[in-house]
Amino acid sequence: MIAKVIAVILCSVGTFFFIIGTTGLLRLPDVFTRLHSSTKCDTMGAGSILIGLAVYSGVSWDVLKLLIVLGFLFISSATTGHAIGRSAVKQGIAPWRKEDGEGQ
Amino acid sequence: MADFFTIAAIIIATNAFICLYRAAMGPTIQDRVLAVNIVGTKTLVVVALVTFIRGSHYFLDVAMVYALLLFVVTVSISRWLETTRLEESGDDR
Repeated sequence: MIAKVIAVILCSVGTFFFIIGTTGLLRLPDVFTRLHSSTKCDTMGAGSILIGLAVYSGVSWDVLKLLIVLGFLFISSATTGHAIGRSAVKQGIAPWRKEDGEGQ
Repeated sequence: MADFFTIAAIIIATNAFICLYRAAMGPTIQDRVLAVNIVGTKTLVVVALVTFIRGSHYFLDVAMVYALLLFVVTVSISRWLETTRLEESGDDR
């Protein structure tokens, strides 16, 4: 019973963070800010949902598989964010500033 | 409990379809790669949810293979983006 409650809470948090990540990907003005929102989506959303499913499934082999999936997801998310940010900087994409270039 | 997982999977799949807007309309190629990466992550989570909706546990193996594939694809594409030099001319990069 308590495992189901924890699973429902974690899956709701994960779905909420996925909605936040999608909103940020659509609404934010720059590739760097979109990178920021989408890495939150990966780490918090997918991490919460997969940990919630692992709690729900109890002690079984599914937990090991879910943790392997989670490890690969974390490694690939961090590496992808770093490399995309570096390539954007190298390519000379100007970061977005407030008031369109006036600030700072 | 399967109903809750179904609702969560439907919401996440709808979000993945909305993310395809950025993959189609993104001004730079980094935006497109980012959007495709997000769509892949959401597909992975939907596959993991389908495991517990249907109760058929072999879907987790599909999720594992999909995570490996996503890892290889995103790391190789982002390394390629990082090392190559794209042409500056043209707005549809």
